[in-house]
Amino acid sequence: MLKIEGLHANVEGNEILKGLDMTVNPGEVHAIMGPNGAGKSTLGYVLSAREEYEVTAGKVSFKEQDLLELEVDERARAGVFLAFQYPVEIPGVSNMEFLKESVNAVRKERGQEALTAAEFLKRAKEACKQVNLPLDFLKRGVNEGFSGGEKKRNEIMQMIMLEPTLCILDESDSGLDIDALKVVADGVNSQRSDDRSFIVITHYQRLLDFIKPDFVHILADGKIVKSGGPELAKEVEASGYAWLENHEEASA
Amino acid sequence: MSQWLASVIDRANSVDDWLRPVRQEAVAQLKQTAWPTRRTEAWRYTSLHALKDLTLAEPTAAPASTEAPAITDLNSLDIVFVDGVPTTDIGSLNTPEGVRIYALDNASEEAQTQAKKVMNQAKNASHLFGLVNDALAQQGVVIDVADGAIVEQPIRVVNYVSAGVESHNRVLVKLGAKAQATIIEHGAGQGNSMNTAFAEYLVGDEAKLEHYRFALHGADAIHIGGSHFKLGEASRLNSTIVGYGSQVSRIDTDIVHAAEHADAKMNCIYLLAPSEHFDLHSLIEHAEPNGTTEQNARGIVGDKGRAVFSGRILIHRDAQKTLAELHNRNLLLSRGAQVSTKPALEIYADDVQCAHGATIAEIEEDDLYYLQTRGISREQALVMLNFGFIQELVKQMPNKALSAWLEPLLRERFKTMEPA
Ligand SMILES: Nc1ncnc2c1ncn2[C@@H]1O[C@H](COP(=O)(O)OP(=O)(O)O)[C@@H](O)[C@H]1O
Ligand SMILES: [Mg+2]
Repeated sequence: MLKIEGLHANVEGNEILKGLDMTVNPGEVHAIMGPNGAGKSTLGYVLSAREEYEVTAGKVSFKEQDLLELEVDERARAGVFLAFQYPVEIPGVSNMEFLKESVNAVRKERGQEALTAAEFLKRAKEACKQVNLPLDFLKRGVNEGFSGGEKKRNEIMQMIMLEPTLCILDESDSGLDIDALKVVADGVNSQRSDDRSFIVITHYQRLLDFIKPDFVHILADGKIVKSGGPELAKEVEASGYAWLENHEEASA
Repeated sequence: MSQWLASVIDRANSVDDWLRPVRQEAVAQLKQTAWPTRRTEAWRYTSLHALKDLTLAEPTAAPASTEAPAITDLNSLDIVFVDGVPTTDIGSLNTPEGVRIYALDNASEEAQTQAKKVMNQAKNASHLFGLVNDALAQQGVVIDVADGAIVEQPIRVVNYVSAGVESHNRVLVKLGAKAQATIIEHGAGQGNSMNTAFAEYLVGDEAKLEHYRFALHGADAIHIGGSHFKLGEASRLNSTIVGYGSQVSRIDTDIVHAAEHADAKMNCIYLLAPSEHFDLHSLIEHAEPNGTTEQNARGIVGDKGRAVFSGRILIHRDAQKTLAELHNRNLLLSRGAQVSTKPALEIYADDVQCAHGATIAEIEEDDLYYLQTRGISREQALVMLNFGFIQELVKQMPNKALSAWLEPLLRERFKTMEPA
């Protein structure tokens, strides 16, 4: 489904991704762990075409198309979804209007009819319930005055509504207490299916107790430096990221 | 003196009609008036360079239409002027009960009497182009609404201008005590025209005026005009001003609370395409106690566009218990877009409640990106992010046929204003 080969990317002239390779097949859950500043968020932004993030080399194919050719909104309509580490607040636009526009834009791309107002509302209510957000959130501005945890749950709620094929979750666990973490994990788990894949970016192993990954990758200094099964997350939990420095020396 | 102004004086001197005394008075004043420069406060941000030596003699295109632009479900009584000349037979209009409408040109004794009651009663006497209009306007309309008449049918004065033509016209409205009416000044046209259009309204005691002024001219137009109101006791004004920018576009909206307990609400919207200019000057005067004013001006300015908002609320010493609010909000679509905004309250009474403010916003790329990551096109995201605060004012227009007509027009225009 997703194949990343030798990806290099610059931000403001600095090289952040330095030759990243990764393959994600349908239905798989890949966790990406790594120290702060490793380039984890950068990977998410590059995959969703954020302007300041410039790809300088490498290839990314998604469902047999060249993902790098597509604009931000085209990627989203093709089925890529990024749950942000820090979602923005947009007070001028209501959540309802925003969701309706986005759901219908994505549906149109898939050749589906726009939802009727009643059907939309029904689905929005269900999705809210699933992530434990009160219904009046729909009437508020996008993320306006939401707490950190509410913003993260709102991202998952959008993911549920948009039914993407590739979900990239950027630290959807950070700043959450254990109950909120379970809500987020349940939301994600409910969406797992044979044709939907996940890249779960996290700094801590904790989230992976609830969302069981098929593969775990360690991203450091712009590259995947180690890949393995769920046991790799436990290793990180036990020993932190200090061993990376030895690894870099070894590979230098 | 500018070559154009000299020609205004010549042309005014050659008109011999019943308004000759008014024209002569204006000419005398114009001769004393220096051509505005950047140092002339009222024209500081509006260059009149394009007008200084203007000569528009012959039309360069056929007039677009002689009929009023259709607005679904408005069912208005339309009076149409094309390049200043009426194409409606004003004398044989089927006017609603309590309404009399006269042409300014070839005015009967009765029409002259009605016109004189209103003319120069509300307009700013020293406005350069008000004087030009006094000197040259031969065409216009006088609308007289009898005391107590409740007029349901909106009355619309359409003023088309076409390329290569200079025109001047006037609207004079008197609303009797306890009368109610809706008046629409609808300006439109394409090409390099020059037009002045001034309207004066005397609103009687306890009368209610619903007013609209649409200045929807093309990018090459020079349009200068004003809507001026004098409010009687406990009268109510609800006015909406909508302007596109153009080469030179200047509208003055002045309101005088001439008696107690009057209530004025005015919303102003301006949308400037790239490189366009729009200047809104507003002076609202509270001369008497217990009046209320609420003014909201909101605009969007495209790349290299220049908007000017000068809003003043002046509260005289006797105007105790005045409530006044004045807000101006602007969205600049690029760093090359400019707005000069000066909302001002001048208060000489001690027991009043007032608020005023101006804000300027720019597009946040992060917000655009966020909406796009959810599948929304950049174009649609821009509309969602930036059109909302304009839409809010459109929705407040009391006439739903007008708001239903205007909203898609403004939305379409906005879509062509994408930042550079
Ligand atoms: N917009 C930006 N401007 C400048 N530097 C950036 C920007 N975004 C990320 N970086 C830099 O790129 C590196 C990787 O950041 P990021 O991808 O956010 O790391 P992670 O998510 O793994 O903590 C850091 O050194 C960070 O300072
Ligand atoms: Mg990060």
